[in-house]
Amino acid sequence: MFSKLAAKNVGRSVKDYGVWFLTIVFAVCLFYVFNALETQAVFQYLGSGPTAPTAQAIRELVGMLSVFVWVVLAFLILYASGFLIRRRKKELGTYLLLGMGRGQVARLLLLETAGMGLLALLVGLGLGVLAAWGLSAFTAGLFAVPMTMFTFSVSLPSLGKTALAFAAIFLLVMAYHAFAVSRCRLIDLMQAQRVNQELKSQSLGLSVALFLAGAALLAIAYAMLLTRGILRVDALFWVMIGLGSLGTLLFFRSLSGFLLRVCRSRKKLYYKNLNMFVLRQFNARINTTYRSMTVICLMLLLAVGITASAVGLNNTVEQMAAEELPQDANLVFYPDGEEPADLPALLAEGGFDPETECSFSLAFPVLRSDAGQAITQSVYDAFAGRWGQEAADSFLTREGLNVLADGEAQGAYVNYWYFLADYAGDKNAAETRFQEAVSTLGELGSYSCTTRLETWMELLGTKVLVVFMGLYLGVVFLLASAAVLALQQLTQAADNAPRYRILAQLGAPENMRARSVDIQVFLSFFLPLALALVHTAVGMTAVNQVIAEVGRVDAAASSAVAALLLLVVYGGYFLATCRASRRLARGG
Amino acid sequence: METILAVEHLRRDYGRRGSVTRAVDDVSFTVAKGEFVGVMGASGSGKSTLLNCVATIDTPTAGHIRVEGRDVTAMKARELTRFRRERLGFVFQDCNLLDTLTAFENIALALTIRKTPPGEIEGRVRETAELLGLADCLNQYPYQLSGGQRQRTAAARAIITDPALVLADEPTGALDSKSAKLLLDRFEVLNRQRAATILMVTHDAFTASYCHRILFLQDGAIFSQLERGSRSRRDFFREIIGVVTALGGDQSDVL
Repeated sequence: MFSKLAAKNVGRSVKDYGVWFLTIVFAVCLFYVFNALETQAVFQYLGSGPTAPTAQAIRELVGMLSVFVWVVLAFLILYASGFLIRRRKKELGTYLLLGMGRGQVARLLLLETAGMGLLALLVGLGLGVLAAWGLSAFTAGLFAVPMTMFTFSVSLPSLGKTALAFAAIFLLVMAYHAFAVSRCRLIDLMQAQRVNQELKSQSLGLSVALFLAGAALLAIAYAMLLTRGILRVDALFWVMIGLGSLGTLLFFRSLSGFLLRVCRSRKKLYYKNLNMFVLRQFNARINTTYRSMTVICLMLLLAVGITASAVGLNNTVEQMAAEELPQDANLVFYPDGEEPADLPALLAEGGFDPETECSFSLAFPVLRSDAGQAITQSVYDAFAGRWGQEAADSFLTREGLNVLADGEAQGAYVNYWYFLADYAGDKNAAETRFQEAVSTLGELGSYSCTTRLETWMELLGTKVLVVFMGLYLGVVFLLASAAVLALQQLTQAADNAPRYRILAQLGAPENMRARSVDIQVFLSFFLPLALALVHTAVGMTAVNQVIAEVGRVDAAASSAVAALLLLVVYGGYFLATCRASRRLARGG
Repeated sequence: METILAVEHLRRDYGRRGSVTRAVDDVSFTVAKGEFVGVMGASGSGKSTLLNCVATIDTPTAGHIRVEGRDVTAMKARELTRFRRERLGFVFQDCNLLDTLTAFENIALALTIRKTPPGEIEGRVRETAELLGLADCLNQYPYQLSGGQRQRTAAARAIITDPALVLADEPTGALDSKSAKLLLDRFEVLNRQRAATILMVTHDAFTASYCHRILFLQDGAIFSQLERGSRSRRDFFREIIGVVTALGGDQSDVL
């Protein structure tokens, strides 16, 4: 009987459950993807070579980070559950009125949560497996990992871990429900539908003053950040953070009053369609929403900032690698004997024939001259012809070499030999054969060999760490802020339903009302985002100053990835909220 | 006299096969321009159904309703929304003001929804508010207004668009007698000065005594009709009480 009622309830309130469900599905999906790092192509790659310890360290770090993420998600889901309970107060009141015991009502909610939770968990895990696959393809591309590593796989331990983590959250939710039911009073439940008419009319003049004060505080915080840089963490740093937060708070506290003031003096705007209503609604809600708007704005700042910094740092590291080592392979050989070494022939003997394996190769001696060690002019020209003048010059500086005219080099003493090459065809196969061939040189002398792939592998660990951590935290913060906003807007839309009924009776056409709903949702989603983006722009300028000290800044790529994430997660929630709010505003 | 509203053989059935309830049964009447007509009847007599049909919120089972010669029963949904917006004004029992807007804005909203040029709005709102005795409380929120002021604000909102017909559903239902009297006085002023045509549903004999003419409904049909003519309101009130008594036998059911 209970399970039947629970099933019916879920079916009926599936639209109310919508955002709750969506949030859990996203959360489960995210949690799985990042805990199942071993299914990632780039991780299999990293874990297979000498970099295995790095891979292990990264996985442990993600595990620790997941505890923090779990706490954030638990709060988020509890908040969403609280929303559901508020929406259904009257229904719960009816059960109590009909004589159901509190324990029974709690059991009913428990069954519903268990059912919906299980469903959301399954959907989320399914999506997670797919998303891990997609992310694997994306990052494999990002890190230029050989596509042979890219396979579809499922991590059973991570599935188990995710299921356990969310089962624990559901237990918390059930405990919360039981607590909520035991605390509620019947009269409150039955009258929950009544809209409170507590409207603190605030002076518009005060709003304008507060708005200007907030803007001033933000300007000071920005100026401090840009002049001091982001890395000096001292007392003044915290003052700066405090000023920025307070400025943000004041900004949102006074924004609606300020907007109202401005619009009222512009009659054409104020007396157009439902603008008057939208502004008043917004102003009436601001007393209860300005704090959460501030928190959401700061969370968005973290989300966008972390994502953008991570991607920016990744690209910078990559550029540094490319600049340091323009060739695929770089071999230095010190022969034991005096006779000139024919490196290409030696390598070909060892199973690596430069003629077929390389798209370009250059073998040359380093000579002893009066001015120190040197290479000949023709070698220099060949180097510059292939890898560019700049690379050639930086090679000379790094190795401490001079250039000798070809004539002067005749008969000069050969110190050691160089072999530089770019592979042709499959670079990984070529690399393996090259390494084998090089190891045979040990009998003839000593050598040192660096290849681009090796350097890559070493850098890869750092890059993977930066990008995955950045994406993980970025998406979690983004998800949390979008979900909280969506739930708030839905609560408001439900409260606003009677107001929209009145508008309908007054003859406001459906599309006019829908537009007014959209504007309200838009304002609440994009005002925090707009300020967060301004914060991020200033913050990223400071971050880029730091990055610029070690390498080049790639602002375009980092902005693009952050924008894409924002568009998908935030935009998705925005559209879903618009649709649901419209439905609430329409259903008279 | 020009006919604003013509109801012809109106019928409204509820329920399906087997258990049909006929809420309104073959009702016909007309309302001329500038008339103030009341509809009285006990609970369940069909007066609300009748008003809802005229308000185009409900669709009749049979019969026609013509407003200014246009048959609203033949209109499509989009056309109806437009028609309601342009030609009808509503005053409800619970006044239905928006709590987040001031009285001024509540009245102005009716104009902005109709896309009135912004320049005209303030002047028209003040003029109408003056007529309803609201000039002093325009900047207050509904929760700061008295019940009577709220209902007059709603009346101002209904009348400001110059509708062909104002429909009032128990406008005094939630008011004390003094506020009710004040509101009805204003209805008379609107009726006289603006030549507003008003159709009001009520079960209160005192409220009804302000009307020019009263239709009495019983079990969905018109049971009787009273014209005030040149009589005083007091005399008219007595006569109404008489009909009400004859109608129900049991007054407590009606009043």
